[in-house]
Amino acid sequence: MENIDKKLREEAKRLLEEKRVDALVGYETGTLPLTATPCFITNPEDAEKLVWNALCTQNLAKYVHDLISQHRESQKRVKPEDRKKKVFGVVARGCTTRSIILHLQERQYARDEIVIIGVPCTGYVDRKQLSILVNGEDIQEGALEGDQLVVKTIAGEKRIPLQDALSGNCLTCKFNNPVICDVMIGEKAPAIAGAAQEYAEVEAFENLSTEERWAYFTKEMAKCIRCYACRQACPSCYCRICFVEQSQPQWVGLGEDATDTQVFQLMRLFHMVGRCVDCGSCISVCPMGVDLRKFLKKLDKDVLELFESRAGASMEDVPPLSIFKEHDKEDFIFNP
Amino acid sequence: MARRKFATLKRFLDYIGLEGDRTIFTWISASEGERFANVIKGVTAKVRALGPASKLVKKL
Repeated sequence: MENIDKKLREEAKRLLEEKRVDALVGYETGTLPLTATPCFITNPEDAEKLVWNALCTQNLAKYVHDLISQHRESQKRVKPEDRKKKVFGVVARGCTTRSIILHLQERQYARDEIVIIGVPCTGYVDRKQLSILVNGEDIQEGALEGDQLVVKTIAGEKRIPLQDALSGNCLTCKFNNPVICDVMIGEKAPAIAGAAQEYAEVEAFENLSTEERWAYFTKEMAKCIRCYACRQACPSCYCRICFVEQSQPQWVGLGEDATDTQVFQLMRLFHMVGRCVDCGSCISVCPMGVDLRKFLKKLDKDVLELFESRAGASMEDVPPLSIFKEHDKEDFIFNP
Repeated sequence: MARRKFATLKRFLDYIGLEGDRTIFTWISASEGERFANVIKGVTAKVRALGPASKLVKKL
């Protein structure tokens, strides 16, 4: 990993020095032990801050979208002849590149407005899982040593295999290498062993009875405090005005009624049809640990089954909900 | 687009535990009076069999 960090920094520095990018989005070491946090770099000297390891969690495509739309917004107040184009660099793993493809397909920005630095990925650490592994103790110090995490808590030092602490979506990931990139750092990562069981969890859930499924849904949604962190972290959630904040019409009530929360989650989840790349950002930021993946993965599975399409799987794809094919299944249509 | 959206919506609502028969979708032309009547009869029969909805109902 040392080697990858070095190459990444060199590449980032070069891109900034040659002015091929105006700003670069990457990860730096976080302030808490065993964390990495997104960072924005404009000065070539600061490229030394960059890191790439299993602690880098968030999908950076979200920040790319934010930066580009903010820049465009700022250019509206500038005389047309003085308007500047800005190019943003991004450190991207597989799921991040999928989100970028999704943005490009949805015409959010142009390909020449971004430079993608591809990095191989073998999965990231799930903080909640890590917390369970150390019995909820406060992590005082920590280090990543090869395929092991060395964690120091009040109870003493503990070595945890990295594999045990990986996030659920990473264990069954099929896109752990960048789908598109301008520069690739390091070798491609080997395929993830669990990728074949990608939908195992969804299939098990499908086999439960309707009442059991409803009970699980209500139980999970009862945890939700509607902080909207999932929406803020999701790269596919980029509406300027989200339906939850609209007041005319008001789609969802703002009180603490359980059905309002269920409807909010239901609508947000359903906006992800053919758009969720399973990066796990929403789950990792959720302070209440709502099992959103169980539902998001179902949407992914259905779109693959019905329309043979996956979000951001290739640049040539057309968003599945914007086309129609003759052999689409029609069993959902009611014909008495 | 509505067609594809509906196909996924019906499956998804069923998945989270709403009775699949509560979400019904079909096409009826303005000239198909008899078909319209049949569809509505079918819908009411299905809903009657399920009884009043208890899920996602907001009580004020």
